[in-house]
Amino acid sequence: VQRSPLIPEMATQEVQLNETLAHLKTESETLKSKLEEERAKLHDVELHQVAEKVEGLGQFVMKTRRTLKGHGNKVLCMDWCKDKRRIVSSSQDGKVIVWDAFTTNKEHAVTMPCTWVMACAYAPSGCAVACGGLDNKCSVYPLSLDKNENLAAKKKSVAMHTNYLSACSFTNSDMQILTSSGDGTCALWDVESGQLLQSFHGHAADVLCLDLAPSETGNTFVSGGCDKKANVWDMRSGQCIQSFETHESDINSVRYYPSGDAFASGSDDATCRLYDLRADREVAIYSKESIIFGVSSVDFSLSGRLLFGGYNDYTINVWDVLKGTRVSILFGHENRVSTLRVSPDGTAFSTGSWDHTLRVCDDCYFFIGIKYNQNLCTFNFTPCAPDKPPLSLTATHLPKYSNLKKHIYRST
Amino acid sequence: MSSKAHSSNNIANARRTVQQLRIEASIERIKVSKACADLMSYCSEHARSDPLLMGIPASDNPFKDKKPCTIL
Repeated sequence: VQRSPLIPEMATQEVQLNETLAHLKTESETLKSKLEEERAKLHDVELHQVAEKVEGLGQFVMKTRRTLKGHGNKVLCMDWCKDKRRIVSSSQDGKVIVWDAFTTNKEHAVTMPCTWVMACAYAPSGCAVACGGLDNKCSVYPLSLDKNENLAAKKKSVAMHTNYLSACSFTNSDMQILTSSGDGTCALWDVESGQLLQSFHGHAADVLCLDLAPSETGNTFVSGGCDKKANVWDMRSGQCIQSFETHESDINSVRYYPSGDAFASGSDDATCRLYDLRADREVAIYSKESIIFGVSSVDFSLSGRLLFGGYNDYTINVWDVLKGTRVSILFGHENRVSTLRVSPDGTAFSTGSWDHTLRVCDDCYFFIGIKYNQNLCTFNFTPCAPDKPPLSLTATHLPKYSNLKKHIYRST
Repeated sequence: MSSKAHSSNNIANARRTVQQLRIEASIERIKVSKACADLMSYCSEHARSDPLLMGIPASDNPFKDKKPCTIL
């Protein structure tokens, strides 16, 4: 008897709530259409059309220079040290290894308490590495000069998520780390105290990757997730400032264009895409009908002209960013390519694979025509591709001259 | 969860979505043609110093072997 006056009141409140919800949903739809309209107004041309007048690149031949063997299971992640020769890599078997890529020697090895170490990163100073995975944490290991020292003893637990760690990156110092997780969030942490400085909410599913904007362009980063979205975030406020949803499946990798005005993404939908931040839209798509396997990782060459993509069909495809065409394909790995990074000075790129190895690669190119310069005692080669520099070598570097005429030469 | 609390949750989410969309809709944009022109000029300005694009002499590349060419 006492309840009946309450029920009509609750019913009225519920009707009011439902009206507000419907109102908000309508406003949501209206804003989405407006966003599409505004973006479309400025879509006057495609990137490859603007780039028609740019000279084509011809074909590249990529070659593996080093193979790093030592992991006992799938390599999941790798990162270059700023010294351009050291590499840190992490694997499904829980091992994190630091390599000297010039000599292929292993300098440090750590066994994590978990398997599937999906993320690793080198500190800007070169004095520490960060890693994590199924332990839901990101830990920092200072690298000791003493080879006998047990690295695990100095381990510092920095980040704590409620699901797996998918990616991590130091900011421009050793003091802060940015992480992304299967729990759908990204977070910024203070390394010394382990304190959470900022968290980033907005993805509707696992966040799989992140990349920090080049330092000149300010405090932003981009993340990609299983919700097919790439989000750009303001690091100070935690606010998502731009969002892009054109991929048809999980985004496995995101990487800023070197100028900071754009970023590339690689997805399970077998495409790479380029999004320009000032135009606020996708401006290029890198795909071929013959490429049907997902892209696991992407990175740009120093000038931004080349985009390297590691694929689940074991290959690396190299794209002309401006023209949208493929300029090279590299075979060599015997399983999925899971991670790919261009070296800090842009001379080479490294890939990690489920075949347990890492490879360091660069390009070689073809020459045609040879002329002997009697004054300098050098042989001058004219490259096939017009944009390549000519090569000048002394006799000590060459096979017998009489065999060389009228042949096509490949630089090793 | 009571249906009232559930509705409030939905409303909170809907409000967040609307606020987010307002922020995204309000940013300043430039034309794609201008954005692309800028990407292209960055590429051409930096092409000369891109080793993977231009190639560098064997002596400057620590990964390359000393013997610099083979006959095909």
